Amino acid sequence: MKRLPLIVGGVIVALFILINSIFIVDERQQALKLQFGQIVGQLDGYRDPGLYFKIPLIQNVIYYEKRILPLETSELEITPVDDRRLVVDAFARWRITEPLRFRQAVANEQAALPRLAQILTDSLRAVLGEVTSDAILSEDRVGLMTRIRDSARLQAAALGVEIIDVRIRRADLPQQNLQATFQRMQAEREREAADERARGEEAAQRVRANADRQATELVSEAQRDSDIIRGTADAERNRIFAEAFGRDAEFFAFYRSLSAYERALTGDTSTLVITPDSEFFEYLDQGGTSATR
Amino acid sequence: MPFSNNSEGPWGGGGKNRGSGGGGRGPWGGGGGGGPRGPGGGGQGPDMDELLKQGRDRLKVIFGGQGGGGGRGGGPQLPEGLGRGGWIILGLAAVAGWLFASVYTVAPEERSVELTFGEFSGTGESGLNIAFWPFQTYEKLPVTRENVIVIGAGTAFQGGRGRQDAGLILTGDENIVDIDFQVVWNIVDPARFLFNLAEPEATIRAVSEASMREIVGRSELSPILNRDRAALAREVSELIQTTLDSYDSGVNIVRVTLDKADPPQEVIDAFRDVQAAAQDRVRSENQAEAFANQRLAQARGESAQLIQEAEAYSARVVNEAEGEAARFISIYDEYVNARDVTRKRLYLETMERVLGDVDKIIIDQGVAEGGGGQGVVPYLPLNELRRGTN
Repeated sequence: MKRLPLIVGGVIVALFILINSIFIVDERQQALKLQFGQIVGQLDGYRDPGLYFKIPLIQNVIYYEKRILPLETSELEITPVDDRRLVVDAFARWRITEPLRFRQAVANEQAALPRLAQILTDSLRAVLGEVTSDAILSEDRVGLMTRIRDSARLQAAALGVEIIDVRIRRADLPQQNLQATFQRMQAEREREAADERARGEEAAQRVRANADRQATELVSEAQRDSDIIRGTADAERNRIFAEAFGRDAEFFAFYRSLSAYERALTGDTSTLVITPDSEFFEYLDQGGTSATR
Repeated sequence: MPFSNNSEGPWGGGGKNRGSGGGGRGPWGGGGGGGPRGPGGGGQGPDMDELLKQGRDRLKVIFGGQGGGGGRGGGPQLPEGLGRGGWIILGLAAVAGWLFASVYTVAPEERSVELTFGEFSGTGESGLNIAFWPFQTYEKLPVTRENVIVIGAGTAFQGGRGRQDAGLILTGDENIVDIDFQVVWNIVDPARFLFNLAEPEATIRAVSEASMREIVGRSELSPILNRDRAALAREVSELIQTTLDSYDSGVNIVRVTLDKADPPQEVIDAFRDVQAAAQDRVRSENQAEAFANQRLAQARGESAQLIQEAEAYSARVVNEAEGEAARFISIYDEYVNARDVTRKRLYLETMERVLGDVDKIIIDQGVAEGGGGQGVVPYLPLNELRRGTN
């Protein structure tokens, strides 16, 4: 029974040694095995997940991230070849592909970030400085991003890092140009509004003028038709009279004169000064004797 | 450490595993030594001592209560006092502790990812799952849950600048549009999601923003404001998906919703005025149409009146003529039969009517011319006569 503590102690020591003899590399990790600062074991790093062995106390393990890591740049003012300044802001995604080289070049992720940011900034300036701003603001952006990525990738390879992707997040006008753009947009809209109103006026005037024309046409046509109708009626009247009165022109003259006298000599407006020797007064002088003439 | 628990305090060991949530990973990491987790493992030291002590105390209580077997003095040396029953209980407790550490539940909206010695070994569906501690570890991820990232809408974009013009995007025709949008995503492949992206949310946000700016940068302003919103959202969604797929991220973009796509505040009045102008245009056109309709109706009425008047005139004139002609013909027919008598009668009747109405002054021929050359005619007060008639 006195051996029990010894056994327990032995087991604890054995477990301690065992635990310190193995290390696990997670899917998300990769590792380097160091022996007094010197890299041993798999020289290009333990990149596959799994269980590995090491010598306790003498060797130790450094883990590195295997997943895709973020990298953000601050805003950069770029001057493309057409001298219009643009504020550009990009980000990259990267991963450590060669832990050994990464360790030798930058030691750890914190130290790597400024270096990578510098590389990204340089690549951005180099590529975007060669093209026009229109290219940056157009379909070509995709091609430019690929070029930036390739350029950055080349430089980052020396750090044991692969640049997976570079994206231009924003490519905008600087703040002071923003106001100018707003003013331009405003002027364009104002022009559009004025144009719209003028077109409305134009259309309205056209419609009115057209209506006036049609109205005049309608009325004048009616006038013409009415004159034709009146003329025809007058002609008919003449024809009727001619036919009727043509039977005896002398009697017509007599008859028409009588009716004209009747109408012309009305009581209110006429005073006749006559002598009694007209035909009408034939019997006024002669008395009741039979006619001698 | 778990192994030492096995011999001395399984209860405490179980409690410890429950407490550290991350399964058996913690102790193993600590065992790795020299790694980043080294200090963490060291920090757990006092805690472990405490737990061990508690475990031992609890065991004391249990075995004391059992009271069977040999007469132990109840002294502090526990192992000496353990009988067979004690060992069995110890074993059962160990199994229970192991089960407790190994069995886990996955909620309906979750999937789990299991790792065997750090290597991916499978995903777990909803329900009860087992990961053989300490060789296997697991992580649970909410898979069906939709995650929403809001971009614009007054939020500063990632990158910590917090500019006022957060949602302002330059379009291809160098106008500026103010866009707020939401990206809704979920996890489609838990393993790839877990293993490939270090900061998934930040990455999705950055990619979304870049994609939106890229697509808007290719487009012109007016289609974005007017009709192409759905198309824009679809295009952006596809671009985000393609980019994230290129990272092998295991993320699915469910949809992209445009909350706002407006002209910037500074110029929105001008844009509204354009709409007002369009309405003004329609209004003046309508007014002109109304005027035209009225004018034409009036003209048609006027035309109709003219024609009707002419027709009336025509009828009247012809009728009068016909009537007069007929009358003449009737009289003429009579006249032919007795020319002199009729003629005389007509004359006399007419003169009768005429002279009957008219003021008349009858002066004999002799009186008028006068015997001695002096007639009355010069003395007639013609003006007065006329005045009298008036």
